[in-house]
Amino acid sequence: MSDPSRAVAAAFPARLLAFSGRRQGLGVNIALALALSIVCAAILIALAGRSPLAGFLAILDGAFGSAHQIGAALNRSTPYLLSGVGVAICLRAGIINLGAEGQIALGGAGAAAAALAIPNAPPVVAIVVALAAGALAGAAWSGVAAAIHLGRRVHEVLVTILLNFIALLLVQQLLAGWLGQVGAGFLQSPLMPRGAWLPKMPDFDAHIGILIAVVAALGAWFLIWRTPFGFGLRVAGASRLAAAYAGFSRSQLTWGAMALAGALAGLAGGVEVLGIHRRLIEGFSLGFGFKAVTVALLGATEPLAIIPAALFIGFLETGSLAMQRQIGVPTALVTVIEGLTMIFVLVAMAARRK
Amino acid sequence: MIEFLAASIRIATPILLAALGGILSERAGVFAVGLEGMMLVGAFGATIGTWASDSAYAGLVLALVGGAAMGLVVSVVAVRFRADNMVTGLAANIVALGLTSYLMRIIASSGAPIAIHNTLLPVLPIPGLVDIPEIGPLLFAHPPLTYLTLILCIALTFLLNRTQIGLTLRATGENPEVVYASGLNPLLVRMLAVIACGAVAGLGGAVLSMQQVGTFTDSMTSGRGYLALAALIVGRWTPWGAAAACLVFGAAEAFELRLQGFGVPVSSYVVQMVPYLIGLAVLAGLGRNSRMPAAIGLPLHRDR
Repeated sequence: MSDPSRAVAAAFPARLLAFSGRRQGLGVNIALALALSIVCAAILIALAGRSPLAGFLAILDGAFGSAHQIGAALNRSTPYLLSGVGVAICLRAGIINLGAEGQIALGGAGAAAAALAIPNAPPVVAIVVALAAGALAGAAWSGVAAAIHLGRRVHEVLVTILLNFIALLLVQQLLAGWLGQVGAGFLQSPLMPRGAWLPKMPDFDAHIGILIAVVAALGAWFLIWRTPFGFGLRVAGASRLAAAYAGFSRSQLTWGAMALAGALAGLAGGVEVLGIHRRLIEGFSLGFGFKAVTVALLGATEPLAIIPAALFIGFLETGSLAMQRQIGVPTALVTVIEGLTMIFVLVAMAARRK
Repeated sequence: MIEFLAASIRIATPILLAALGGILSERAGVFAVGLEGMMLVGAFGATIGTWASDSAYAGLVLALVGGAAMGLVVSVVAVRFRADNMVTGLAANIVALGLTSYLMRIIASSGAPIAIHNTLLPVLPIPGLVDIPEIGPLLFAHPPLTYLTLILCIALTFLLNRTQIGLTLRATGENPEVVYASGLNPLLVRMLAVIACGAVAGLGGAVLSMQQVGTFTDSMTSGRGYLALAALIVGRWTPWGAAAACLVFGAAEAFELRLQGFGVPVSSYVVQMVPYLIGLAVLAGLGRNSRMPAAIGLPLHRDR
């Protein structure tokens, strides 16, 4: 097993490096891509008849102005980091998993259901059980996607997108049924028992989710760069033929990567529910799945680089609320920046590959 | 029953237009994940154009131009720069979502989305034919863009199967080398196909905002672009196949609306899943039998 893998690695060093994200210059290109989308944002702010400088200052103020705001920004980054790392693991193997949206929603539902099922559990147990249930729910849903993709050879993008819609409706159905709070007026679950609330960090409004997320990113880095499974992922991403020649099973790699991505996305949903809302709310994670793809790309699918990427998006979004409040520039601007950044990063990565 | 079938047609129309655009793109070898964003920009352009000029024609033009502009962005990134088709489409959808809701808000300069209420395009009964009992009101009493959709369906079938342009387009999706050999530039063919895809999908968005809602709301396409993507695959990349698939999706949604109307004790959330479940089931059922264009998603190099 190890001999052919080494042979393949020797035969395809350039391709592997191209996907490593370590290649010199890619960082510069991504920084350029980011700068370009910020220039576009400035133009859009000017189009609204506001000063771009005032807009960016308001964003900075809103993101870093106080410990409270920094905490809020860290909380916002947390689910993006967790699910983004999962998406990146898949992308490494050339699997385009756009299913984080549904996996996060079901992860939140799983965590909420578990926490509500054990109301008298001691705090640590309640949190661990709830988060594990969330991860399990997310992994189960991505498992469905993997099964249809591998079993019936349907493209993973289609499967995961269609499953997203079904998952969101499934969560709504749960909230309208046995997980919902009767008489709440809208779709939400009862409040979690106190023991399941994620503790906050001292002096910050941030809950400990960001620490879990950073540990997950470090774990993913180790997995990708220091384990045979991770090597298999990288080889498969660089060349499916090479992976097959080296004896890596495509279905095993896909099952593994999808399960990990689903578990991380489910964990993201669980952390969001236990840390922020303390109950399951309809649409609590709307759009998170696509942010996951954004940060995975912005971090060039390198787990350690996804940490700053997720923080950037989290702080940007938190700051944009202040921008809307202070000078009346709509927060939708951030969505434009995110999309444009993705496009420019895609171009930057493609330009390197020439 | 007539009412139910008419509702199915109404719901299917915008999805079918997007799917027709998607067929152009995918037959030329570019995955059409960006349909959702193209529709959204089309719906936005149609609303703003009609509102600003008081003319439905301006709305249509802006829908076509807006959709084509999204197509241009996708084609430059995915074809010229050879980025991954799927992720490019997703990114374009995010840009469209953000840009349309941002622009809706800065037009009013109050920070709230501007309130626009355009009159819907009128129903145009076709004289004579509409009087046929049962079938008449079902098939010949629709707003103009619905007829246009049918015409485009016929035209696209003809274009793909009976013209030189169609042959070149299909060759680009199946075997671009052949197109090189015949002295044409498959890169250009792909880019034009994606831009045309954007224009047609933009028209699909215009159906929503000009025939059905009368205004633009944030992410008003709500997944129809993705359904169109499923429909064109289920329909095996043919206009009539996609039309059949869209009608099935439309019927599923119309059925759901009727269930709600009758107060049948079936959860509406479960019923809403039906179009997606059908899409997934058919895709899984087709499985390896569904042969996609051979060179779809594969990057082209200019210097070959």
